[in-house]
Amino acid sequence: MRGIFPFAAGAAIMLVAGWAGFPRAIYKSRPQPVDFSHKVHADKAGQKCEDCHAFRPDGTFAGIPTLDKCAGCHAAVMGATVAEKNFVEQYVTPAREPQWAVYARQPENVFFSHIAHVKRAQLTCDTCHGDHGASDHLLPYQEDRVSGYSRNIWQTADRVKTTRAAMTMSACVECHRQQGLEHSCLDCHK
Amino acid sequence: MTSTRRDLFKLAGGAAVGALFTPAPWRLVTDTALWSETWPGVPRPARGEIRAKYTNCSLCPAGCAVRARCVGEQPVALMGVLEHPFTHGALCPFGLAGHHLPYHPARIAQGPVKQAAAAIASALARCAANERIAVLDLRPGRTASWTYRRALAQWKNGTYLTPPRTLGGNLAVNLAAAKTVLSFGTPLLDGWGTPGNVIAAREGFRLIQAETVESRTAVMADQWLPIRPGSEPALARAIANVLGNQPLHDAALETGLTEAQIVAAARELADNGPALVLDARERPEILALNQLVGSLGHTIVMRREAPVPAEWKNAVAATELSAVPDGSVRVLLIDESAPGPYLPWSAVEKKLVAENPVVVAFAWSGEGYGRHAQFVLPTAVYPEMVDDIPAAVDSPAAMFRLSAALVPPPADVVNPAEFVAALAQISATNTLRERADAIHKSGRGTLFTYADAKSTALKDVKADGFWKALNEGGCWMDAVPERQEIPKLAFGPPAATLTADNLPLAVVMAEAPAGLGSPILSKMYQESNLRLAEDRVVLHPTVARECGVEDGGRAILEAGCGRLDVLVCEDPGSPQGVVQVAAGPRTLDLCGSSPRAKVVRA
Ligand code: SF4
Repeated sequence: MRGIFPFAAGAAIMLVAGWAGFPRAIYKSRPQPVDFSHKVHADKAGQKCEDCHAFRPDGTFAGIPTLDKCAGCHAAVMGATVAEKNFVEQYVTPAREPQWAVYARQPENVFFSHIAHVKRAQLTCDTCHGDHGASDHLLPYQEDRVSGYSRNIWQTADRVKTTRAAMTMSACVECHRQQGLEHSCLDCHK
Repeated sequence: MTSTRRDLFKLAGGAAVGALFTPAPWRLVTDTALWSETWPGVPRPARGEIRAKYTNCSLCPAGCAVRARCVGEQPVALMGVLEHPFTHGALCPFGLAGHHLPYHPARIAQGPVKQAAAAIASALARCAANERIAVLDLRPGRTASWTYRRALAQWKNGTYLTPPRTLGGNLAVNLAAAKTVLSFGTPLLDGWGTPGNVIAAREGFRLIQAETVESRTAVMADQWLPIRPGSEPALARAIANVLGNQPLHDAALETGLTEAQIVAAARELADNGPALVLDARERPEILALNQLVGSLGHTIVMRREAPVPAEWKNAVAATELSAVPDGSVRVLLIDESAPGPYLPWSAVEKKLVAENPVVVAFAWSGEGYGRHAQFVLPTAVYPEMVDDIPAAVDSPAAMFRLSAALVPPPADVVNPAEFVAALAQISATNTLRERADAIHKSGRGTLFTYADAKSTALKDVKADGFWKALNEGGCWMDAVPERQEIPKLAFGPPAATLTADNLPLAVVMAEAPAGLGSPILSKMYQESNLRLAEDRVVLHPTVARECGVEDGGRAILEAGCGRLDVLVCEDPGSPQGVVQVAAGPRTLDLCGSSPRAKVVRA
């Protein structure tokens, strides 16, 4: 009986490390430069997603707004929150662009067209970004130490159930397959 | 309690087994695979401001207008210019992925420039009176071509060689005027001419494709005439006989068609004009049908060359390779930087002197003539290179457009025209601008600018503005001359009939050679056999069985000029007695001059 103890101990240590430690250790985490509340902007300022995350005239997606867009309203402190005060002092006044970490950033070998999904396929933002637009705080940005992929892309429990959290090719293919829209590799890998 | 070494091993063993029941190893496998997609060495597009740059694709003579989506200075996606009056926004798959080429694994970035120059100088010093220095220019009509011709005029036996062509020089095809097109194996809907222009003109003509295999063009044609391999001249003769009310003799037997099919095709050419006859190999005995059906001046038109400075006129004329005496070329310089038709090496080699000829290839990869040359000097590749692109075969008017560089080339690349000019001690540093000024001085035609999609009469544009527009995405189009005096197309001697001897299979090269494409395209086209790779052959299953080879197996393709290791693909749609091969430098070297082959087990 004693003979099996080291083996069992090794297996048990590894099971604990693999199930409890590894999923945490595989990600490195960093906070966003500013704690931004989508909820406040949507509820109080009545803003819609496309007011800040707009398409450029040539159809490309501008992504996260640049500082001048924020400074249009926040040239001076408007509210009473510490986050806003810090934002104005540290970024707007010195005209320093915040270094946002983009949850949905694609790996370099993939081309993703927002306009094709939003305008042509008529997908709403929450299809992929979940309830991110109603969040009160920004989650820390978590990056897989090995693959370099962001963890919180979908921000929707539904997707996490069916796919890995990260936006892997299988997730894209799965959705395209459901829609009967499998085309060529060059659609995304240009 | 003491622990033994054995306990430690047990602990490690338990840990290893335990690990297998956690997500860790499986996740690491996936993560490592994901990491490998973007690991160091994979080119990374820059992040930054997105803007558009304009150029023209120089990967083939079509020269399609290109709008490049750039992040910072880096092109990340190429698309056509929709409003372009001739290329109509179309790019072929090669052009769409053209910005990958600077990263192609076959890319050459360095070469023995000094050694090549020394070898050429020493060979020229030894050049006997009946020997010559020659430049083989795969894409004539460029400004660089004029530099070669001017440089060669400085040597006593300077010879400027071009691939043979009937259409595409001063005779062009006006597809928009055609109502009926009879194509002898020309890949009209699959890479011929300018894709945008062909698509735009397609509605207006009925296409009859006479071809042995059911190529992509045959599939999309209005009618496919599945003729016996090598029987194209026989079909052309039969059609000429019908048009001249002569008997058909045994044309049906020779071509594998019925007499009714031949008569119907001839009648359609005669009754539903203007008609046009094209041949993949531009055989005179086939192209001369155009004369009988009245194409000249309608669907085949004269085209002026874009003007050149008067002082360039002291230049040698173009010579076809076949007109050069065998064993007479001491120095051969081959410009492959602008891809064009590949002449089989056996045809080129016999023109070289027997002892110590010097052959220099200017190329961005060593896949073409670089395999035979002593020196391969690296050139820029699209979209790094700055070059002009003459009008394509299907443009009735002359054109002048620049393939302006979207990215800088590596430091050590050679400009072939400047290299040859330096050998001949003539100046060639500003030739593109000089030619643009000569065109501007002529005041002919219009300038179409890509960014604002505007056409302006050239006489309303200043010389500097013209040059700037050409560099930033513009195209000059000549006015079509009103009078069309077309020289007669001569019926040449009929091509030699194929003999079966010990090579039982007729070689069919179904596609136009495209040169190296983006590695992603090669993967998609070639691994899926959508477009054959150079090391694959297609056989009918019965033919494969007769040859003792099977689908997916290795085999040897044997032709007059040698052997090639190939992979066999069986296709019940492939005709009997035929081996289909991809057109590329290796297969053209092997089969170009002897269109019969055999396939044997490796
Ligand atoms: S047809 Fe030729 S010029 Fe046009 S995009 Fe394709 S390779 Fe480039």
